[in-house]
Order: sequence, then structure tokens, then C-alpha cells
Amino acid sequence: MASNKSKSVTFENITKIFKDPQSGQDVAAVGGVSFRIEPGELITLLGPSGCGKTTVLRMLSGFEQPTSGKIMIGDNDVTNTPPNKRDTAMVFQSYGLFPHMNVSENVAYGLKLRKVPANEISEKVQRFLDMVGLGAMAKRPPSRLSGGQQQRVALARSLIVEPSVLLLDEPLSNLDALLREQMRVEIRRLQKSLGITAMYVTHDRVEAMSLSDRIIVMKLGKIIQMGTPSEIYRDPVDTFVAGFVGKVAFFPCEVKGINSSCNVEIKGKNFETPRWSDKLKVGDKAVVMARPESLSLGEPGAGVEDGIVTANIYLGNSVETWVKTDLGNVLVQIDNPDVKKIWNEGEKVSLSFDPSLTKVLVDDLEKE
Amino acid sequence: MKKRFINFTLMILFVVLVGAWIYTSVRDEFLKQSRASQRQTVETVAAGYPSEPEDVDGWLKRLAEDVNDYKVALISEIPMPGENLSVTPKGDIELSKLTKDFALDPEFSKGFDNAAYEEIYRSVKNWTVGSKEEQALFFAPAVSLKTHDIEGALIFAFNTDGEQGFMRMLNTLFLGAFILFAVVIWQLMMSRDPIVGFALAGLFLMTLTFVAYPLFEALRLSFIENGKFSLSIWKTILNSEGYLSALWGSLKLGCWTATFSTLVGFLFAFVVSRTNAPCKKLISTMGVLPVISPPFSLTLSIILLFGNNGLITRWLRVIGLNFSIYGLPGLVLVQTMGMFPIAFLTLGGVLQAIDSTYEEASLNLSATRFKTFSSITFPLAIPGILSAWLLVFTTSLADFANPLLLAGDLRVLSLESYIEVTGMNRLGHGAALSILLLLPTLTAFLAQRFWVAKRSFVTVTGKPSGRITELTTPTVRRILTGIIFVIVFFLILLYGTIFAGCFVKNWGIDYTFSLENITEAITRSTDALFDTVTLAAIATPIAGITAMIAALLIVRKKFHGKRFLEMLLMTPFALPGTLVGISYILAFNHAPIILVGTAAIIIINYVIRELPVGIEGGIASLRQIDPSIEEAATDLGADQATVFRTVVLPLVRPAFLSSLSYTFVRSMTAVSAVIFLISARWYHLTVLIYNFSENLRFGLASVLSTVLIIIVFGAFGLMRLLVRENTNLMKNVT
Repeated sequence: MASNKSKSVTFENITKIFKDPQSGQDVAAVGGVSFRIEPGELITLLGPSGCGKTTVLRMLSGFEQPTSGKIMIGDNDVTNTPPNKRDTAMVFQSYGLFPHMNVSENVAYGLKLRKVPANEISEKVQRFLDMVGLGAMAKRPPSRLSGGQQQRVALARSLIVEPSVLLLDEPLSNLDALLREQMRVEIRRLQKSLGITAMYVTHDRVEAMSLSDRIIVMKLGKIIQMGTPSEIYRDPVDTFVAGFVGKVAFFPCEVKGINSSCNVEIKGKNFETPRWSDKLKVGDKAVVMARPESLSLGEPGAGVEDGIVTANIYLGNSVETWVKTDLGNVLVQIDNPDVKKIWNEGEKVSLSFDPSLTKVLVDDLEKE
Repeated sequence: MKKRFINFTLMILFVVLVGAWIYTSVRDEFLKQSRASQRQTVETVAAGYPSEPEDVDGWLKRLAEDVNDYKVALISEIPMPGENLSVTPKGDIELSKLTKDFALDPEFSKGFDNAAYEEIYRSVKNWTVGSKEEQALFFAPAVSLKTHDIEGALIFAFNTDGEQGFMRMLNTLFLGAFILFAVVIWQLMMSRDPIVGFALAGLFLMTLTFVAYPLFEALRLSFIENGKFSLSIWKTILNSEGYLSALWGSLKLGCWTATFSTLVGFLFAFVVSRTNAPCKKLISTMGVLPVISPPFSLTLSIILLFGNNGLITRWLRVIGLNFSIYGLPGLVLVQTMGMFPIAFLTLGGVLQAIDSTYEEASLNLSATRFKTFSSITFPLAIPGILSAWLLVFTTSLADFANPLLLAGDLRVLSLESYIEVTGMNRLGHGAALSILLLLPTLTAFLAQRFWVAKRSFVTVTGKPSGRITELTTPTVRRILTGIIFVIVFFLILLYGTIFAGCFVKNWGIDYTFSLENITEAITRSTDALFDTVTLAAIATPIAGITAMIAALLIVRKKFHGKRFLEMLLMTPFALPGTLVGISYILAFNHAPIILVGTAAIIIINYVIRELPVGIEGGIASLRQIDPSIEEAATDLGADQATVFRTVVLPLVRPAFLSSLSYTFVRSMTAVSAVIFLISARWYHLTVLIYNFSENLRFGLASVLSTVLIIIVFGAFGLMRLLVRENTNLMKNVT
């Protein structure tokens, strides 16, 4: 519908420095961030709280001004443009619905500011309310809607002004688990059908994985990795990203050779892995990263690490087995549990992995 | 950033250059005009120089008598360059003396020289002639019409007051325009949020002009005697027994009133929140009512009942009791009646916030009710009690209306400073006395704000228990309720007396029913009533909107000098009204801002004094509102002014409305500051009530008090009605 209007977003070396109110010292919330979002793409900013992802979003919306750097929407430099003059629309974590207006007045607010004729407004408001499934609730005050419905009103209110960029600031964090899943699908559907460029902030990796075209992982104000969900999951740049986007086990190893694949040695056994960090050289101490689904269990001594089964969690299509080892507690996912062997709690086992699904990373784990 | 700064500097430079050009051309044109007309006068007068030498003296005399804007002197022989005068100058005495004294001055030599060549010369600098400063001198030849010989030189001294005044005005105008221009350009070029910048600049300008500047002037004038810095005013005050006894009187009155008010207030609050006494609604209402009753009303009814010709005084005299209500005891009584609601409201809040679970726990551990009260409830309420005491103390010290009618022989500071200013016309003394009054007031205010308030044990648990823990035995409860009903009865009696006073021919002498007072009061007060309502009605929306804007900026925006602005905005709350009034007449009766006698000074005074309460209300209510609501509006394209109008104002409506009604009521009932600021054109109803009472026209005063009471209660009733509509909405704002 509005796909021809959607625009790219470019951050060029953006830094944001805040003054700490207590110590009066300068703190870099965002330090030298550059990236580009293609038109129509949904990008998720993922990271632990305090990593600067919300600051990035608020700089794009204009509520914060970068200390240095340049922000572009399409071909326009908007670095110094105030929020009300920017062609962005934000969906807030707490929705920010106007409590003194009913649902349709809320949705119509942005159009009224744009001096759209009244009959056009009412027609458009109804269309967008129908689109988010709230056509029958137009005259209700926001306080008489459920959390999910309020979220839809906020979404409709932002989408109706046909912004170049849609911004979503942890929009689902106030909803319960089931609603969250529904809304996730809904947001993705609307964003795709309108072809709108979107930036989504969350600390929930499942949300990020299921929604995004690409994910930006942030830590301490810096971008650690930017890529598609599967790249981030299969091919993380370091142990932080690997651990943040999913359950993972790290096996210490030594790099023996790097050619078309990476050869590593763990406790005298050699493995060929297809992915490795390009910072590694032959002879380095490193870790092999393995996801639960690439791990399997066997008799003690058969694998790379021995341990004791501490818990089995039956999930129907799989069983999650927790194994206590010297490397810590490791999660192993056993698919099709009805046809595979399940080890009982307290039994001694050994862990093996499928080398083709792993990656060798620089060992920057903190040792106790 | 750097580029914009350079742009800004260039812009300012451009404005300065253009401004300087316009300034100099306007100034030069004016000076040219004014000097040309002076020169014209000089020529005309000089042309009239008599042809006969014997007529010269008469001619000079006539000039001196007929002309006001210049003076003329004559020397009948022009000295040679470098030589002294050979003749005594004639004509104006002062100008002659100057000519004699400065005949060798280069300016005079040049003037004489020019005159000798039949030219007119204007002095480059200005001279002081006698007592008159800044006089421009003109030198002209005295030519005999008959012989066409130069018979001497005429010296003219012209007043340059007009020129000086014009230059002053021009300077102020250009400086003001330049500052305004610089601020506007700065905001438009440097800030992403020019509206916020303008609002901030406006608030800073307003508070600096109408809070800081008058206070500074009051302080400055208390150190000035005969135009020079001097400590003499303060020496007089601190050495005078009379002034010190006034300070002592204020403190004594404050302590007694605060103590009694806190006792009564605590009694009311305790009975309402900790017992199952009957008629609690009535008790609460009567416990709040006096706080909004107009000034003089309680004093008036006390005088009607207990004054020298009072109703009750008469009865007591019959049984042989003789006393006078005027003085400390009467004042303590009337202040306690008027101010215990402050203590009641403070303590009511404190007692309600103390979780009654503590008391239940104590009772459960088999403590007696009295033990529970003395070891749990009372200790928890102590910070609140101190708070209430200090608040009443401050209010009592600043009180002006009650002592005005009831002080008798007791001297108090607020009254003393009024007498100094209006009675003795010693503004410096008045300023010093009201500053002296500020010291205890400010100490108590700050102690309450920063010390007691921080020591509060009360914590908000977020789950108020609807239950009431009964802490009294039936006997105790009956006694406490009995005392309360006596007080409530007394209050009703006081209000009833004012009402009755309207319908009595001549209170104290002739108690026959009559409507004369009502008709007379209405005819005599129409103008004052109209003025009072007009001024309050103008001040109300200004104060309300300014308060909400200031609250929004303080809560939501980051800017330099926020603490300073907050302090300036809040200061008037702690200032006694007499100090505000005196400092306003001191600051605004001379250049650069002259406002004394106008409606503006009264309106500004209302706005400035009632802003703090409105701002506090606005801040409290904005803190409840999620900032993302405003951000959402901004994000959808609303600028700051639109956000304020369409989102903030509707959401803070209850705070806005109560700030409006508060300002209106306080402006209608103002007296302590406004009594200094009223003029023949702009009068105030409360001052009229005071005048009627002073002249023992109690009937008229009663009618006006009743009118004020009706207006005030009406305004509050209307506000409550409007706010109630809003309560449903406010529950959902978070």
C-alpha cells in the first residue's frame, strides 16, 4: 500500500554522551554506531538492558540528539530535526495512549495535526481500526480496553500517518506470553503488508528471531554483530552473541589447522568445523560453540566431556536434558524422544557434538 | 554546532551594526531638531535686544519673569581672548555667577569669541547652573538695532531635561529591543525547541523582574539614607525598644497561635481518623471551612460579639466581668479559629497515612488503648505535628488582617511596617521591618521544608486500609467529641454573627431589623466590588496557565538553571504579604519600570504570589502522568504548544482548575500586599471592609464580608463540581 513511500535509514558514526547525574561524569550510552536499514526492512535492536538500544531508537525518533554523527532517513539528513518534524512514528512500551480521548480520537490525532479533511479522517480511522481488528471499539476510552487491544490502538495510531519509519520500543513487554505471540505475528503481518521500514527494540531473543529481517546485537553502546536471525544464531561473532541469542555450550579446544575448514583438538580428539572466527590462528586456545540440538549423549568416556544427568524436561516433540559437567550445566536437546534413548537422572553420560553445526570462537569466557 | 555559532555571531553583528546606524541617526536627527529650535529661540531673543541702553535692564527682567525653559545673562563688554571679564554679568543671578567664575574657561572664551563675530555658539558640554544640572549654554551677540554695533554677549542656559529623557528612553528601547532580538535569534538558530526556549526565557524574565528585583530593591533601600549607603535604618531599628517589642510581639503571637492551632487541629484529625465519632462529615467540613473565609470576617464577628460594645461583652458586664478583646488573647483566639484548619489538613493527611496495622499489632500484644496511642500513634505523628506547628507559625507571623483590627496595644511587625509606610511615609524603615519579619518566617519555612519533612516516618504502603482502629474508650470519645462540638458551635456562631450583622440597624446600640445597611453597602461598594472581581478574573487565567507551563518545564525538560528558576518561582510562597507589597511599591515607583497606581501591579502581584501553589499542584499531577503520552503526541507531529494544549492541559485539568480557583479566591480575599498597591482608580473590597470597620460601620462591613464569603464559597463549589467530572478519567492516567 505504502511501499513506494518507505525509506532507508542510515546511522553514520553516531555517538551519544550523557552526563551522569550523580558523578557528573560523561558516559557514552552509544559509541560510534553505524548501520543502514534498507527500505521495507524490519531491523531488531537486541541486547541486554543498558546496552544503548533504546537510545539508538530515541535518536532516530528525535527525542534524543546525538552528540556526534549523522542520521539520514532516505536522502534527508535529520540529525537536527525535532521529533515532530520527522517522518517517524513510534509505538511506546507503555503505549502512551491519550487517556482523555476515545479510541478513534486517539487514532485520528496525527491526521488532525496534518489538517486532513474530517470525512477523510473518519473513513481512514475506521479502515485502520478494522485492520487491527478493533472496528467495533471506536468509541471506547482506552482505559476500557485490554492490554493487547491498547497495543493495537497504539499501532493503528502510528501506522495511520503513513510514516517512513515505524519505531517499536519493546512494545510487547507488558503483555502476557500468549498475547505476545499473537501480537508478534500481527505486527509482522502489518509491517510486511504496508511495506514499511521498521526498527524494533527488544531484549527478548525469541521475539527478535521470529520478527526480524535482520538483527543488530548491541553491548555497552556498540554494535557487536548485524545479520539475519540464522546468521546470528549459527554464526555468532563471539561468545557473547552466541550466549545471548540462544542456549549454548562451549568446549575448550586448541586450533590445529585452518584451511577450507578449521581443525581443532579436544582432549586428544580431532574435529573439522566449517565455521571459525577469523581472529583465530593455528596454535590458539579457543572454544567450540555447540547448540543444544547439535549435542548428543553417550556412554561415559565416549564423547568430549563427561557429566551427570540432573533433569529431563519433556516437551512432546523433544526432551531437554540438563547435564552437570566440569564446564557447567549443559542443555542437550533430544528430538523425537519416543524413538531415542532418554538417560535417567543421576546417570553418568558423556557429551558429543555434530562438528558440522558448530563454530570455533575466541576463548574470551571469564574463568571462575 | 560551530557553524551555527558563527552564523549567530554574524547575525548579531549585523543587527548591532544596523541598530547602531538607526540609533545614531534617530538620535542625531532629534538632537539636530531640538538644537535648531533652541538656536531659533536664541536668534529671536537676541534680535529683540533693545536699542536703547537704558531699556536693557527692564528687558532682562521681563525675560526672567516670562520665560521658564531658558535663562539669560548679559555681559556688556566682550573680553579680549585670554583676558578676564571687565564687567559684572547681569540678568539671571546663577547664570551670571557661573559666567563670572568660568569666564576663562575655553568654552566661554570660544563662546565670547563667536559672539564677537556675530555668530551663535552652543557649548559642547553641559553645565550645572546653580542647582540645575545638565544645562546647555548658548552664546549670542547683543546687537543694538539702532547702531548695529555689538554691545556685548548674551548667554543662554537651556534645560536639556527633554533631551536627556529622550536619550534615556531611546537607550532603554534599543537595549531592550536588542536583548529581545538576540534571545529570539538565539532560540530560533540554536535550539531545536524554540517554543520551550521562549517559555523559559519568559519565566526567567518574569521571576527576575517581579520576584528578585523587588526583593533586591527592598533590601537595598533598607541600607540607604539620604541617597547614600548607610546602616542607620538598621541601627535605629535594632536599637529601638518599640521595634524590638514588635518583633517580640510577633513571635509571641506566632508561638501561642501555632500551639493552640496544632492542639485543635490534632484533636480534629484524631477524632476523624482514629475514632468512630458521629457527624464526621460535619467535623471535617467545619475543620476546613475557616481556611477559605475572607480576611476580617472572623475578626469582625469577634468584635461584634466581644468588642467594647459587643453582644456578649454586654451580658458579661451585667454579671460584673470586664475585659477587652483587643490585644494578644483576642488575636490568639481569632488566629486559632482561622488557622487551625492548616494544622488539621496537615495532621489529617499524616494520621491517615499511618497504617493502622501498627496500632492493631500493639492492641493485639495487649497494650491498652492509651498505651497504644502514647507509644505508637503519637510518636509516629510527631514530625507531622512539628510540620503543622511551623506552618501555622509562619502563617500567623505573616498575618496582617487580624492584627490590623484587633491588635490593640500589642505591637506586631507586619502592622508596624504598614504604619511606617502609610502613616509615616518611611519606606526604608518599612522595608527593613518586613525583612526582619522574613527572618523567622523563612527559618520556620525552611525548617519545615527540609528538616521536618525529611524526618517523617510515614511511608506510603499503597494499600490504604479502609478500617479504622478505635483508639478511645466511649467516655474519652464523648469528651473529645464534646470539645469539638463546642468549637464547631463557636465557628457557626461566628459566621452567623456576620450574617446577622447585615440585618441590624446599628450593632451594639440599636438591634432593630433593618435593610439599610445592605442598600448602603451595595451602593458604596459597587465600584470596589467591580474592581476586585475584574482584577481577580484577569489574574486567574494568567496564573493558572503560567503555573501549568512552569510545572511542565520543571518536570519534563532539562535546562540550565532549573534549580534557580524553581527557587525564584517558589520564593513568594514564603514571603509575608507586607514585604511583597512594600517591595513592589519600592521597586515599581521609579524608572525603568513604573507601575504604581496601575491595575497591572495588582494583577502581577496576584499572579506571582499564587503561582507557587499552582506549580506544586501541576508538578504533583504531571509526575503521575506517563511521559510517553506527551512523546506520542510529539512523535505524531505536534509541536510543544500543541502538545500543551491538546494533551497536557486536559490531563492536568484537576490541578489546573484548583489552581484557578485558588488564585481567584486568594485574589478576592487578598489584603496584606494589596493594601499597599491599591489606588484611587483600583480599589479592593477587603480594604473597604477594613475602612468600614475602622469607622465602626460594622453593619456595612458585615454585608461586604457576607458578599465575599458567598463569592469565595461559590468559586470553590464550582471547582469541586468541575473536578468531580474528571475523577474517573484521572484514575486511568498512569
